[in-house]
Amino acid sequence: MIDFALLFDYSEEYMEGLRNTLYASLIALAGSFMLGTIVAVLRMTPVRPLRWLGRAYVEFFRNIPLLLVVYIFFLGLPALGIILSGFVSGTIGLTVYTSAYIAEAIRAGIMAVPAGQSEAARSSGLTYIQTMRHVVLPQAIKIVVPPISNQFLNLVKNSSILGVVSGFDLMYYADIVNSETYQTVNALFMAALLYLLLTIPLSYATRLLEKRLARTG
Amino acid sequence: MRLSVMITFRQVNKHFGSNHVLRDIRLHIEQGEVVVVIGPSGSGKSTLIRCINRMETVESGELSVNGVNVNDRRTDINKLRRNIGMVFQHFNLYPHMKVIDNITLAPIRVNGVPPKEARETALFYLEKVGIPEKADAYPSQLSGGQQQRVAIARGLAMKPDIMLFDEPTSALDPEMIGEVLDVMKTLAREGMTMIVVTHEMGFAREVADRVVFMDQGAIVEENEPEAFFSNPREERAKLFLSRLLHH
Repeated sequence: MIDFALLFDYSEEYMEGLRNTLYASLIALAGSFMLGTIVAVLRMTPVRPLRWLGRAYVEFFRNIPLLLVVYIFFLGLPALGIILSGFVSGTIGLTVYTSAYIAEAIRAGIMAVPAGQSEAARSSGLTYIQTMRHVVLPQAIKIVVPPISNQFLNLVKNSSILGVVSGFDLMYYADIVNSETYQTVNALFMAALLYLLLTIPLSYATRLLEKRLARTG
Repeated sequence: MRLSVMITFRQVNKHFGSNHVLRDIRLHIEQGEVVVVIGPSGSGKSTLIRCINRMETVESGELSVNGVNVNDRRTDINKLRRNIGMVFQHFNLYPHMKVIDNITLAPIRVNGVPPKEARETALFYLEKVGIPEKADAYPSQLSGGQQQRVAIARGLAMKPDIMLFDEPTSALDPEMIGEVLDVMKTLAREGMTMIVVTHEMGFAREVADRVVFMDQGAIVEENEPEAFFSNPREERAKLFLSRLLHH
């Protein structure tokens, strides 16, 4: 039977975990969005080496497991003398991994903006960057909201990877509670509830945003 | 400095794959001239005018605008484009911006005009194209003819020396063609240098200083409109005109 008393007995652990999961998610969300936008623009510049760089980035981080990406920062960087905490390396790994997906979603969105839009902008003397910033990206954003919201939901769930590298997140504390109480099902169920507390409002908010963007056409 | 010859094509060639889209183009356009380019579809008309602001590059030959070599690597293309307005078949207004912001974007971002001044200029040109009341509308709220007039105002707001029109009325419902052509006629009368790709023969006849007839990538005939329409010299031009008349 599910016993909610556990949540209160270990409320300090669970709240600390929830807070860290929330922080990691918010940082990675903002970070992966910015990084993903930059990579998407790189993938589409007329400058070939930059395009190649963007492509290499996406293919590399999208095609290895998230755990491995996090290990690069948690275990790989110390070999170079850079030591990061579990929370920091987990969050960076999450950011980098998600940004590869975001970049692809944004690229698809950019390609869905009719070519005539950038032709009009470029012919009026705007630079490539100005054209992207003022004309193409604002239109692409509307197209990419649904796939990106999906990525953000995945991001919150994927943040459980922090538990593996002692990132003090929800999953980490659920394990602690489990090992102290041996109430495995209970301990994990509480974590699941708290994840839902984050993801359901997020999914609701993105649905609202989609509706609103659809209205302004 | 103003030169009397604004645009010069010297032996310009271009291919799209194996398709020879521009063949040995020689053309001089003077300041204040209105040149109408006509010809069957696929004859290279659009490519020709798109080369003028380097929306297309040329492979060989020389193309200069205001004395500047368009395809020279050292040419600052964005600087050159400030002086060349372009109007497209499908208007290409920015759908996420109000009409006024469509018009002020380039003056503010490219020419560094203060926003307040850019707004005044935009309103002036909206007045000129006859729809000042639409400043705060979004493009999707306008008819095709209104959208194209906004596109013309957008081009004019940069105060260009040259305006390029790439089939500006081809995507319009017939009842809206007149309002766009009227704006273009006014511009022509005011001395704007205009190169217009169009199928509107009435416009060509009335407004053009010169008609350029293209077929298969080459300029086949070039003449004053009256002489061209009443007495074309080349067989292909005769054929083209006779087909138009029979529609």
